Amino acid sequence: MTASTLEKKPAPRASSAAFILKKATISALVALVLFSLMIGVRTEAGPQGGLIYWTRFGDLAAIVAAVFGGSIVIELLRQWWGPADKVRVVPPAVQHALSFTGRLIAPTLLIFTFLVPVIFYDQRYILDLAILVLTYVMLGWGLNVVVGLAGLLDLGYVAFYAVGAYSYALLATNFGLSFWVCLPLAGILAAFWGVLLGFPVLRLRGDYLAIVTLAFGEIIRLVIINWQSLTGGPNGVSGIPRPTLFGIPLSPGEDGLAARLGIEFSPTHRIVFLFYLILAMALLTNWVTIRLRRLPIGRAWEALREDEVACRALGINTTTTKLTAFATGAMFGGFAGAFFATRQGFISPESFTFQESALVLAIVVLGGMGSQLGVALAALAMIGGFELFRGLDQYRMLVFGMAMVLLMIWRPRGLIGHRSPTVYLERNQAISSDLVKEGHG
Amino acid sequence: MTSPLLAIRGLRAAYGKIEALKGVDLEINAGEIVALIGANGAGKSTLMMTIFGKPRARAGAIEFDGDDITGVPTHEIARLRIAQSPEGRRIFPRMSVAENLQMGADVTECSDAERAAVLERVFTLFPRLRERINQRGGTLSGGEQQMLAIGRALMSRPRLLMLDEPSLGLAPLIARQIFDAIRTLNRQDGLTVLIVEQNANHALKLAHRGYVMVNGLITLAGTGSELLQRPEIRAAYLEGGRRG
Repeated sequence: MTASTLEKKPAPRASSAAFILKKATISALVALVLFSLMIGVRTEAGPQGGLIYWTRFGDLAAIVAAVFGGSIVIELLRQWWGPADKVRVVPPAVQHALSFTGRLIAPTLLIFTFLVPVIFYDQRYILDLAILVLTYVMLGWGLNVVVGLAGLLDLGYVAFYAVGAYSYALLATNFGLSFWVCLPLAGILAAFWGVLLGFPVLRLRGDYLAIVTLAFGEIIRLVIINWQSLTGGPNGVSGIPRPTLFGIPLSPGEDGLAARLGIEFSPTHRIVFLFYLILAMALLTNWVTIRLRRLPIGRAWEALREDEVACRALGINTTTTKLTAFATGAMFGGFAGAFFATRQGFISPESFTFQESALVLAIVVLGGMGSQLGVALAALAMIGGFELFRGLDQYRMLVFGMAMVLLMIWRPRGLIGHRSPTVYLERNQAISSDLVKEGHG
Repeated sequence: MTSPLLAIRGLRAAYGKIEALKGVDLEINAGEIVALIGANGAGKSTLMMTIFGKPRARAGAIEFDGDDITGVPTHEIARLRIAQSPEGRRIFPRMSVAENLQMGADVTECSDAERAAVLERVFTLFPRLRERINQRGGTLSGGEQQMLAIGRALMSRPRLLMLDEPSLGLAPLIARQIFDAIRTLNRQDGLTVLIVEQNANHALKLAHRGYVMVNGLITLAGTGSELLQRPEIRAAYLEGGRRG
């Protein structure tokens, strides 16, 4: 993009060089004011405890210059792109290619995911990261039922994660129950708490619901911290048994899986096992959600998100609809929690702060509410991307915040904001809803 | 004469301390179109909502087909095949037309053949819906949304269809199409309809009988043409009011 394009297409108002320069200057001035203290002056406690400071005007100048240049580039790009409300007709060939790649994304991603332990067998770091990403994919898909489908804004989702984790941890350490017995129990207990949360908030929507669920998340965490005799309080629960392959431990001992198979033991076996375990659990979540969306209950969730009054007029029992949404979402959160506990071997209340709820909610919103693929991509971007920028240390948050702002500007409905219908009464009509603007007539 | 399909006796309902219905009596016979007209705030919509159990009736009785349904929860009333097209259409904007219609059919259990038949009926009445079957509800025009709202209500194969202000905010020509469709439904399918309208002229011409509601009470009742002739109706709702 150069200034020459600008001369070719003279628009009446905004395209003049003076306008762009003025805008860039203003941006640069704002940046100067903002960053003069943040970057220009660096303060630190000196050796005697006094405050010492030094100036970094070079850095400051570089940033202001970058803002100035960036502002010009953005403005030029904007003019090249044209007004935001202009209707753009994408050529059919491009459209076809796009939809073709769009359909390929999910299977490709799935196959790649299956191959991750094979490709990165020696790279423990990547395997650990992949497990973490998959945990959040599962949490995102679980919360997607509540927030994305039923439209109930839940800021306390971490509570169910915690319930699941502590259910497994306490049942396993106190009663010696195995992971495979505890997994359904953790889900059931979490679902039970989901219903318990659901009852008082049945009449609430939007902001009010968000506040109550936020409080619920905190209550669970505070109870865990303070109920020392049961949960160990802030010390957490340690020595949580590792999962077994249906009774066969993945340990170096005589009866371990490696010994039985006659191969040499490696700690990576367990990591790979955990990877496929969480992958299976996440895929189960996905499958159940997709199935539910096609049943009357799933349709009722989506209808509830759209219009509660209309739902009642159509004879939908909004009470059970909301409670099942809460219970289903919570159950998946509980499963993920149990997995988290068995993977870590140690859990404490610190793992279940509001930060986690916010992160999972961000994944759902960024991914596009209700879109399964979008949530998976968002989890990959949020968790994986966050690791990717580790080299930037303290600027990591800045880069990340910027990326999120940009995403919300360009795709306000999330990565995949398009919702595909689940009911096709007749297939012969193919007016894509994407091509039609939403009207309020 | 046989007993009415819907009989309302001495019905009272209130929002907090504000009494919206002060003892309403109303009857709808099977196969009839009954219009309920009245000014803003007369309690017309409240009456419809109270039949659906929200707000709850404080006193009086609602009988449907001889059974008392006064205390029946909202979601079970729809299962008795009383369908409602609420005020302001309230279709599901992000769901496709097909999904919106399916939502209506989810209420009552019916076979695929029955569902296909009623769907075909809806499409015959409103061919526009067939054209837009996979489009999102929110992308439809106001008139199409109203057609969808009625179509959605019809999908439950109702015995009684209640329409709240179907002509609200529609161009006169579109409103006429909607009214024509209601007449067709009544004549050909024998559907019983309760229509709540501010557009008194249209509604009374369409209806076999009409009720006039003022301040939570039925003040006048009679056949549609009778009511249209009454000078007080003409003065209150026709000459000064909106015309279709």
